[in-house]
Amino acid sequence: MGMPSTLSSFSASCAPVRRCAALAVGAPEPEQSRIVNAPATLRLDRASRRLAGREVVRALDLDLARGEVLGLLGVNGAGKTTTLRMIAGVLAPTSGSVRLDGADLYEQPELARRRIGYLPETPPLHAELTTTEFLRFCARLHGLARSKVAAAIDRTLERCELGEVRHRLIGALSKGFRQRIGLAQAIVHDPELIVLDEPASGLDPVQALKLRELVRGLKADHAVVLSTHVLPDVSACCDRVAILHRGELRHVGATQAPADRGAVRVGVTRSLQADDWRALPMVVSAAPIDATHWRVHLQADVAIDAFAAAVVARGFGLTEVHADVPVLEQTFMAIAAGDASARAA
Amino acid sequence: MSVAALIARHEWRRLVVQPFAWTLAAVVVALMAWQFLLALQAFLDLAPKLGGLKDAPGATDLVAIPLLRSFSNLLVLLVPLVTMRTFAGERRAQTLPLLLASGAGNARIVLGKYVGALGYVLLLIVLVVAMPLALGFGTTLDLGKIAAAMLGLMLFAAALAAIGIACSAWTAQPALAAAAAIAISALLAVVDAGARAQGIDSGGINYLALPTHLEPFCRGLVGSVDLVYFVLLACVALTLATRRLDALRSRPD
Repeated sequence: MGMPSTLSSFSASCAPVRRCAALAVGAPEPEQSRIVNAPATLRLDRASRRLAGREVVRALDLDLARGEVLGLLGVNGAGKTTTLRMIAGVLAPTSGSVRLDGADLYEQPELARRRIGYLPETPPLHAELTTTEFLRFCARLHGLARSKVAAAIDRTLERCELGEVRHRLIGALSKGFRQRIGLAQAIVHDPELIVLDEPASGLDPVQALKLRELVRGLKADHAVVLSTHVLPDVSACCDRVAILHRGELRHVGATQAPADRGAVRVGVTRSLQADDWRALPMVVSAAPIDATHWRVHLQADVAIDAFAAAVVARGFGLTEVHADVPVLEQTFMAIAAGDASARAA
Repeated sequence: MSVAALIARHEWRRLVVQPFAWTLAAVVVALMAWQFLLALQAFLDLAPKLGGLKDAPGATDLVAIPLLRSFSNLLVLLVPLVTMRTFAGERRAQTLPLLLASGAGNARIVLGKYVGALGYVLLLIVLVVAMPLALGFGTTLDLGKIAAAMLGLMLFAAALAAIGIACSAWTAQPALAAAAAIAISALLAVVDAGARAQGIDSGGINYLALPTHLEPFCRGLVGSVDLVYFVLLACVALTLATRRLDALRSRPD
């Protein structure tokens, strides 16, 4: 069976990655099809990085196309920041390559100038300058023509909602504004690839929500890689997720796996067997999560209230039923616990 | 505008919007103005006695050149304070990735930082040289000698700035960068002191010393050997800074 086109751009060099591909079985959405048709903007080809005698990132294969947002997940020390630094051109890979439209980033470092925007974990801001002064420097540093700088700054200030602080010193601004200026410096030159390391770090919930909207908006014209610890951010912003663990790519998959959209998580009081669930006409399969919770896959177009009514009628002791969305969380937790293969397949 | 020129201009801008640069400039100008006035008073006291002498030294030899020679000693302390934050400050504030990720190239980044910092030091030199030049309204100055001394001072400052940049690239602590640069510069200033005390003034050790190559400029002599020495010293230091930046791309700090 051919792999869905959504997955065709994924690297298949790692066994765990192949296993995870099963998560995305199902018809790709129109938007995902568009993503696949776009040529890969970024390609990591067995990129590895040793630091202080330790291989922090091992043989990483990853593709990313314009119009796509890739979330990079991993526990602390998994190699996320090192990976992003390699992608941004700050850190050279020990072996392998990082390619931008087929050109090696370290053989042609000037490529990074116009085509990559990078927001490190700590926004690199010059506190003694005003927002506009700083963005003007960043735009020129990234090779934007002098005649285009003013328009680019206005556009970026508007996009990041920084108009009210355009003439204020960066050092006097709040954490939220600084984070947004950090994002603004990464996009002011309209790069093809935007690399964001923990962009929501330190933001309050309202600011984090706005940031999600902004990242989603960026996806229209850019390829975006972002790392975060916040799983809802990944679900909300990203088309795909890559999970790193101990420097290895353990999972690459769609953020919302289509096959799991028909699954519900059901809480019951009675002790049941899988056959009890399959006796219901709308159930395709069921698997236990724990003693009182089941993941139940329903047939297409089954109304949830009809399913709930059937469960109640059977006297299963229904306590809860909701969409089984936290697949990503389960995968992440399983990998973090070192149990990657069992859950990711 | 090239990337190096852009970074230089940005460095200059960052420097002049901070109180540190203005305070430093004010202290330097005040200190040198005080020395200038002392030297001028001494010259005025001595002037009646010099009138009868043949080829008597004038204001250039007794006021201008000693002032610039004294300023060269101050530069050994001053320049590292200007350069200490160029890279160490960026690393401490974690802002260096902005430049590293820009694709500007390490040599251009170093050159831009260097030119930006040196521009400020050169401005201080111009301010100090302007003091003895003001005497031109009341007396005749040897402008050629003053120009040579100013050129020597600028080359001297260029070498010190390059040493300061290299030290700043080597550590993430600006104070440590300044201390290291002062130590190296001071060492190069006195490296031949022992030899000179024993009457040796043309040995290899003398060639290494900074004052050996500044002194001819102060006497009005512009020699290619001295010029090459300062340029070579600056190039070596800037190359080391570039190499250090190359190494930083291999480290996670």
